[in-house]
Amino acid sequence: MREKNWIREYGWILLTGVVVGVAALVLTSAGNPKNMGFCIACFERDIAGALGMHSAGKVQYLRPEIIGIVLGSTLAAAVSKEFRGRAGSSPACRFAIGVFVMIGALVFLGCPLRMVIRLGGGDLTAVAGLLGFLAGILVGIFFLRRGFSLGRAYPVRKGEGSILPGMMILLLFLLLAAPSLLRFSEEGPGSMHAFWGISLIAGLAVGALAQRSRLCMAGGLRDVFLLRDFRLLSGFLAIWITVTIGNLLLGNYHLSALSQPIAHSQHLWSFLGMALAGWGSILLGGCPLRQLILAGEGNGDSAVTVLGMIVGAAVSHNFGLAGAADSVAADGTYVIGGIGTAGMAAVALGFAVLLAVTLAHLPGKEEAV
Amino acid sequence: MRKKQPRLVVAFHTTAGAIATERLCQACGMEGRLIPVPRIITSDCGIAWSAPPNLRELLEGKLQQAGIETAGLYDLLL
Repeated sequence: MREKNWIREYGWILLTGVVVGVAALVLTSAGNPKNMGFCIACFERDIAGALGMHSAGKVQYLRPEIIGIVLGSTLAAAVSKEFRGRAGSSPACRFAIGVFVMIGALVFLGCPLRMVIRLGGGDLTAVAGLLGFLAGILVGIFFLRRGFSLGRAYPVRKGEGSILPGMMILLLFLLLAAPSLLRFSEEGPGSMHAFWGISLIAGLAVGALAQRSRLCMAGGLRDVFLLRDFRLLSGFLAIWITVTIGNLLLGNYHLSALSQPIAHSQHLWSFLGMALAGWGSILLGGCPLRQLILAGEGNGDSAVTVLGMIVGAAVSHNFGLAGAADSVAADGTYVIGGIGTAGMAAVALGFAVLLAVTLAHLPGKEEAV
Repeated sequence: MRKKQPRLVVAFHTTAGAIATERLCQACGMEGRLIPVPRIITSDCGIAWSAPPNLRELLEGKLQQAGIETAGLYDLLL
């Protein structure tokens, strides 16, 4: 009986974590960039590039993983009769927060999910990101405790909730039937990808399981600090352990803070970028992966957030805000990557915007409980 | 793992509603604690208030008085 309770409480979330980890390993083996089997921020950035929203030639590909995650969530929600149209919770603020969550993630070079995958590959530069993410979440919890709220969402027609899943079907159609309308990288991370069918199936599996289990990187840590509940965090840990074991078995585990794939050594800015992403994720009520899942379930506010993140990715690359990976020059010199002045200013602006949004949504003149 | 017990679970539309309820109950000396909203109630990953079932009427009254909107009250084994 005790075992059954434990399985009921932790079974779905652990299974989801293991499946995400295995899917990340499979996708990397099938062609995705190293330590980037899954990355919501990077893949949305690639989609922005494929649609011509930015012109960074190395990061343009219409990633079927994102399409799969949204549609997997939609299918799981439809089967369990949980697809509900909802919207109206400060969509403009969510859009703005989504923009800065993406800017922060691209400064670090990965969303919270890729942060875990990088750690599972032995990438010690991701530790700064993890600490920053934790710090951002604690700041978010501080304001949650003081009554921060973007206000409630209201039931809307299912058509409103179907917009993002519909857009994903359209993107899949473009990828398969009209690829000439899209941009594809010929070199760099955007040129490295698994066969679209494998990516789509992996995304569908992860989307469906994440909808059932409510996997969320930010929510897991929020629940630990706010509620002393470890269920959601166990999914986060399951991904980490699965990817670590898989990389060790495949010989892809390289414990080092140097020469890690698509990572940089500006640790302070990795910390601050993920702090921005963590704080923003708490204000939004979920990490970038969770926003895709909620949008798939019919949440129009999360759909707006996802669109904000895609715009944030375009802004990051059009204005040179994103991090550059460390590299080795032709003469063998190790070149530290990271961000420039524009990226630093954008992170500072991001903190200012999140603070302004937070202060404007604390209990006071305009109650939002 | 402890044995499951009947609990009154209050779900909210916002996290702020749950936090406000915690404050209210602490101020009134009413037993209860914040929990992740049970999966059986919703696919949302919000926060709920868990209280002894015998406090239902008292809690409903206090929440109404304080103007805290709920998304439902549920009797569950937790």
